[in-house]
Formats: sequence, structure tokens, C-alpha cells
Amino acid sequence: MANKLAILWALVVLAVGVHQVQFWRSASLDTDVLALLPEDEQAPEVDAATRKLADEAGRQVVLLVGARDWPSAQKAADEATRVLSEASDLLEPAVVDTSALEQAVDFYRPYRDRLLTPAQRQWLSRATPEELGGTALMKLYQPAGARLTDWNADPLGLWQDWWQARAAETSARPRDGRMWLSGEEREWVLLMWKSKVSAFALGDGSRVTATVERARSQVEAAVPGGRLVAAGVPLYAEAAAAQASWEMSTIGFGSLAAVLLLVWLTFRSLRPIVLVGVSLTLGCAVALSVTALVFDRVHLLTLVFGSSLVGVAEDYGFHYFAARQGKAPSERGPVMRALLPGMALALVTSVVAYLALGVAPFPGLRQMAVFSAAGLTAAFLTVVCWFPSLDTGALPVTSFAERFSASITRWPRIASTPAWWISGAVLTVLVAVGIWKLEPRDDLRQLQGAPANLIADQRELGRLLGLPSPAQFFLVQGDSDDQVLAREAALKTKLDALVSEKVFAGYRAVSDWLPSEAQQREDAALSARAEAQAVAAVSESTGEAPTRAEFSPDPLTLKHFLSGPAAAAIRQQWLGTLGQAQYSVLMLRGLNDPKVLPRLEEVAQGLEGVRWVDKTAEISGLLSRYRRIMGGLIVAGYVAVLLTLVARFGRQAWRAWIPSVLGTLLTLAIFGWVGAPLQLFTVLGLVLLLGMGVDYGIFLLEHPGDGSAWLAVALAGVSTLLSFGLLGLSATPALRSFGLAMLLGEVTIWLLTPCFRLPPGKDTH
Amino acid sequence: MKPFLVLMLSLLSVSAHAADLVKDVRARLVDAPLVRGQFEQKKTVQGFKKPLVSKGDFLLARDQGVLWNTRTPFASTLTLTRKSLSAQQATGGAAYHLDSTKEPALAAVNELLFALLSGDVAALQKRFKVEGELVGTAGWKLELTPTDAGLARVFKHIHLEGDGYVRQVQLDETRGDSSVITFEQLAQTPPPDAKEAERLGK
Repeated sequence: MANKLAILWALVVLAVGVHQVQFWRSASLDTDVLALLPEDEQAPEVDAATRKLADEAGRQVVLLVGARDWPSAQKAADEATRVLSEASDLLEPAVVDTSALEQAVDFYRPYRDRLLTPAQRQWLSRATPEELGGTALMKLYQPAGARLTDWNADPLGLWQDWWQARAAETSARPRDGRMWLSGEEREWVLLMWKSKVSAFALGDGSRVTATVERARSQVEAAVPGGRLVAAGVPLYAEAAAAQASWEMSTIGFGSLAAVLLLVWLTFRSLRPIVLVGVSLTLGCAVALSVTALVFDRVHLLTLVFGSSLVGVAEDYGFHYFAARQGKAPSERGPVMRALLPGMALALVTSVVAYLALGVAPFPGLRQMAVFSAAGLTAAFLTVVCWFPSLDTGALPVTSFAERFSASITRWPRIASTPAWWISGAVLTVLVAVGIWKLEPRDDLRQLQGAPANLIADQRELGRLLGLPSPAQFFLVQGDSDDQVLAREAALKTKLDALVSEKVFAGYRAVSDWLPSEAQQREDAALSARAEAQAVAAVSESTGEAPTRAEFSPDPLTLKHFLSGPAAAAIRQQWLGTLGQAQYSVLMLRGLNDPKVLPRLEEVAQGLEGVRWVDKTAEISGLLSRYRRIMGGLIVAGYVAVLLTLVARFGRQAWRAWIPSVLGTLLTLAIFGWVGAPLQLFTVLGLVLLLGMGVDYGIFLLEHPGDGSAWLAVALAGVSTLLSFGLLGLSATPALRSFGLAMLLGEVTIWLLTPCFRLPPGKDTH
Repeated sequence: MKPFLVLMLSLLSVSAHAADLVKDVRARLVDAPLVRGQFEQKKTVQGFKKPLVSKGDFLLARDQGVLWNTRTPFASTLTLTRKSLSAQQATGGAAYHLDSTKEPALAAVNELLFALLSGDVAALQKRFKVEGELVGTAGWKLELTPTDAGLARVFKHIHLEGDGYVRQVQLDETRGDSSVITFEQLAQTPPPDAKEAERLGK
């Protein structure tokens, strides 16, 4: 039977090995923070919008190179371009070229008459024939009137203004063949580059970042007062990948080394080291394969989190070797059988706790949950199936193990004495005050672990360029393309009032580039009437008979627009058909003050098909909601665990239960006392604590008075502490908070559990 | 791209171009902080058989800006300063105003114009290929070909003629239209009057 299991498990391991080779070859690793974000169950179209907006910018690197005056800025831009061009295998210039404008002008030329700005619409509908004629004459006689089109195709010179309104969407302007802007006491050149390689492959180094940094130092060295500001998903992705691989090696190898050192100290034998190492390796490999199979892609943070698995998965090996030490090799089978109930119970509570993490709709968390549950199970199976067969030789008791096992007899044990009652009372007060001081904070920032310099650059770039905000926007829905465009127009009318109040700078909408058909018809009629009057006035004044040019009889359609050169700038805002309806996104620029958000939310009210989306608020709300749900889950979890324990240990069950409850409460109190906020990730740490803290109690109750159980618990505690303690070093605030909660909880539970051990002579069975 | 600015820029551009020619032409030009005079413009526009002729006067104040007043066939004014470009009909009807803080391209051209006024040779040679010859003892002729893509989209060539002052400008546009502007009665006085000063202060 045991041999059959060992063979079966070996086959599974073989399959995992094959899968691992494939996985690392294709390396479908995710570094995108968005992949961690919760899915919105109620609004898939909002998710689609967010993802589309993010995807579009996936490979773009935007750089602003500035200096105190324009010639220096140009020189700085040349220096930066030179350095960036050196990495031609990595980066290519994304053309921000002026010929694109020419193509766009040619594309729109047949529809010129149906494209008016709101101001032009107003002016044309109220201008007198004299005014129209006067304007046409003035523009005709203006010295060297360079125009975008022939005089008779635009006698009132409306075309240029329409383009100017379009150009107002960015503050960059062509100057000397470059894109120029001015701000924050510098002249700037805008450079756009694209990464040719995916930044998502691990171990490839931060090559785009390194190139940008070289360009930065070159600019600073070559041009006095020169500055380079860069932003883009590739930079974030590389920073995340570098951070994650550093954390993985620190946490993973750190705890692995600690575990192996402990094994060596305790057993002074190579065999336990090798076998525990095998169980850990298999645990991690199976975890990775299962995660990759379930989710298709694996997020980098899952791997970081997974590295802490080492600190937990070794428990089973420890228990086996601690129990087996000093016994004859022939007793291996019985030792394993004796351990099995406790180990299985411990595994179940841990796996249930890990899977509880996956209740929240965060894809990242779900991955971590599956990863950890699979890893623990695999380590457990390796110990149970393989260890008795592979561990053949003698394993004498070492003096370290002996002394440590004996130490449990000197550990304090709670008793009904005044000293214990007083300590209990003091502790209760401290805990109560700490918990009362605890403040929840459900801030989206806890999900961002990006380096501060990247965030600062991104902000500066946003300020200078007037980039639209990706986190707040209006989602416009309609039954047809045209209805969406018309509804956008209605929304824009309301927004214009806020723009003129300077609540925010402006917006970007598809309907700016493609008015609805009705609007196009209206504008064509309006401009035809006004321009006929203008041409007539010019005829009269000059004695000649110029004629107004012909325009396209058909309106510009969405299909034609999207295939044209002008659509490139705005295409990502047209979501197209999702389900039954059509959708577009209207983005806002210069939205710097969170206080104005309620006013924008109000705008959407009463407008059919228009929805205000505030991703930041939405995610914070979700974090808060799940913090409360998980909080409730912890309470329910403790009740369930208590019932399970009672089923096995009867009236002594509380001894395994109380330490975890106290550890949880103490952790919360310490957070309260030091002013650390309570957030979803703290709570998630406590969920896991519930699953793992109880293990120690279970083992001590299963094997009362058994020094080897205490030895195993002690080893497990130390290694768990190390791995989660190291997770507390993570640069991702969420993982850090999680790690710290685990660290504090584990320490207290570990210290408290022996205090609640059975008095000598008592047994649970 | 505001072509009028380009024109003015070209007017002044004689003070800055290639090597000897540049030096010689600059030597022949009067270095004046203020120039005023009359102009006549003949503009050939597609769709019109006869050239469109307009006349008026202008004031060019270094460091401040340019006033361009058309008198016939109808009255209108154009004001260019460091901060803005505005046009107005004498009847007060049609008007427009561009703010360089809102339209940075205007600021760029302004900046260039004022850089030229202070004799920044490098700036002009970046945008035009300068060729030409000296005429007689006091005159000169220049042909400017844009090298800058933005300018080339507007102008094929710009021809300039003059002596101590610029006397004639011919602008050949890429679209086919062309204008010839001649200047007369050029003088360095009087200084701007109150009304002109007010316009230049905008």
C-alpha cells in the first residue's frame, strides 16, 4: 500500500517535472499590477475599459527631456536620443511625427464642412452676413495666409481652429521638427519610444530602465540644468520584476538556508537535510505547476509570496524526523502512522486557511491561495509517501535535540495562581485599548509597490503633458455607435461648464474626432449657409465670382474613422460592442484635486447611458468590503476550528485553540498601539495565522509530554518566523503588512502555545 | 503655424544668414529699434483671376511687437506681441485673439522673432537655406528656402530685396498662392503714440 502510494506520487512528480521545463521555457509571468486588482463582478465593461486603456500603453516609454532654454533642451534631446538608439535591440522610436498630422488633415478634408467647434457653432448661428463677409475678407487679405486648405474650401478660416481645439488635448506642439512644451521653468522635448521586448520575462535584467538611466545621466552630464523625466509600463514592469526576484531570492533562499541549518543542528545528518530539501522543492514545483495550470499565467508577486511557503511546508518533515530520531529504522512505518492524524489535521486547517484567502475577488490573492495550498499538500504528500521508504539508516539523538526537547519542561505553564490572573488582567486591558485604537485604512496605495522615483516621474510627466487620468473616467453606453456619440456630446455640454470653472483642464472623447451623424448634418448645413454668405460678400467686394468647394455628401462613419490615420490617438477609448451595447470612454485631463470628484459624479446623474467610474474609490471600497467580510470569516473560522478540535481532543481542545486567538488579538492590539492601519492584507495575514497557529497546539496535544513534538514545533516556529519575517521586508506594502501580521502573530502564538500544554499525567485520548 | 509671423520673421531675417553674405547684408541694413512705413500687398489666390491688392501702414518695434494696419480696400488691424496675436476689423465686427500661453506654437514663433531682432544668426539658419547677392553699392537680394519641415509645408521660397531697409518681400506658398509686399516711406520715427503703445502692451 505504502509503496503503491510512493510510486503514484513519483508519477505525479514526473509529470510536474515535465510541465516545469515547459513553464520556464515560455515563462508566462505577470508583473502587471492590474492583474492583481479585483475583478468587478457587477460591471465587466468597466474592467474591459480599464484593461483596454492600460493595454494600449503596455510598451510605451514616454520621456521629457528638458533644459533651461530651447537650444539646450534640443541638445539634451539629441543626447538622450543617441543613448536610446544605442539599444536598438531593445527600443525603437515611436513616431510622433508631423507627417501624421498631414495625413490626418488629408483624411478629414472631405468632411471639413461638418466639423465645427462649439464656439464656431455658436458664432456661425448668430453672426450677421456683414460680420461673416468681413471675416472672410480679412482672412483673404491677411498677409501670406497659409492655410490647411484652399481658400474656397474654407473661406472663413474655420479649419485651423478646429484643429487647434484637437491639438489642445496635449500641451506638446511641433517646434523645429520636435515636439515641444514649456513648463516648470524649463523647455522640454517630448520623446516617445517603444520597448521591443516584453518586460515580463524574469532574469532578463532591467535593460530598458538601465538604458533610460544612461540617457538620464548623459543628459545631466552634457547639458547644465538638463533633466530627463521618464514613465511607462516597461519601466514599472522591470522595477517590479527586479524587486520580485530580489525578494524571492532573499525570502526563498533565506528561509531555505535557515531551515537546512536548523535541520543540521538538530540531526547532524545529511539525510534529513536532503529529504526535507526534496519535500520543499517538490512543494514549490507542484505549487507553480498547479497555479500555472489553473490561471494560465503566474504573477510575480505570487512567486514572492510563494517563497514564504518554504517556512511552512517544512513542518511535516520536521515532525517526521523529530519523532523518528533515536528510534530503530524498523519503526519508520509506525512512527509515520502515529504522526498521520495530527499532520493531516494540521494540513487541513492550513489549506482551508490559505483557500480562504481566495474568497476575495482579487486574482492575485487567488493565485497565492492556490499556490500555497498546492505547495503545502505536495510537501505533505512527499513526506508521507516517500520519507519512510527513503529514510533507511539510523538517526541517533543529538545533544542539541536532546537539550531542546528537554527545555519544554522548564517552559511556564498557566495555572490558577494570582500571578497568572494579574498578568491575564493586565494583558486584557492592553489588548482592549490597543484594539480600540486600531484604525482601518483601505487605501489603494497599498497595492502599489513601485519605486518612489518612478511615481514622482509619472506625476511630473502628467502635470507637464496634461495626460488624462486612467483611474477616473466616464463610461458612455448606447444601442448604436451614433447613440454613444450623441450621448457623449450631451455629457460634454455639461462638462464644458466645469472646464470653464477650471474644475479640471479638459477631456478627450471620441466624439471630438467623430461627431454623431446628426451633429455632422447640422454642422454641414450651418457652415454651408454661413460660407455662402461669406463667399457672396467677397464676390461683391472683389468683383469676381469665387465658388465654395464641394464636400463629401456622406457623413464620416465610425468604420471609416477607425480605419483612418486620425483614429490612432483615440482608438483605445472606443470600446465597441460589449454584450448588447456599444461603449466608449471619455477621459479627463488635469484632474488633480480629489475634492472635485463628487462634482463630476453629479454630472453623470440624469444623463442616460453615462456612468461615472472612479477606479480608485471603487477598489478602496472593495478592499474595505472584503476587509470586513474576511474579518467575519476569521471569527467563523475560529468557531469552526474549535469545533474540529473538540471533536478530536474533547474538553482539552481549548488548549490548542486559545493561543491562536490570543495571538490574533495581540497582533491587532500591537497594530493599534503603534498606529499601523488595519487593512485587508493585515486581516488576510490573520486568516492564515488561524490556519497555522493551531498546528502547534495540535501537535503538542497529540503528543503530550513528547519532547520530539516540542522540538518539531520549535523548529517549525523558527523557520516560519524567518520566512514571514522576511516577507515583512517586501517593497509591496500589501505583502509587507501581511508579513508583519504573520510575524507578530506567529511569535506570540509560538510563545504562548507551550504555556497551554497539558499538565503531566493528563491525556486527551 | 501663423504665416504672418513667418513673414515678419523673414523680413527681419536678412540680419542673420550665411557667412560673408550675412555679414555684408547686415552691414548694409540700418540697425533700428523701430521701423515704420507704408506697404502695398499684391496677393494671388487660387479662385481669383486678378491679384488682390491691399494697402496700409505698419510699425515694427523691436522688443515689443508689430502693428499691421490695412487701410484699403477695407480697414483692419493686426497686432502681434510677445504674448498674443489679435486681429480686428475697424467696424468692430469680426475679430480674433490668440493667446500665446494657450497656444504655445505662437510663443515659439514670437520667441524666434524676438531672437532675430537681437541678431541671433543661428536661429534663422536652422530654418532656411540662405542664398543671395549684393546689388550695386547699397542693395541686396536674398532667397530663403525653408529647411524646417513645418515651414516647408507653408512656403516654397521667400525672396527679399532691400538696401538699408527691407524693400520687397515675395512669398511663394506651397499651395500655389503668392504675395508680393513692397514697403515705402520707411522711417525710424516717430515713436509709438499712446494708442499704438496700448496695442503693443497687450
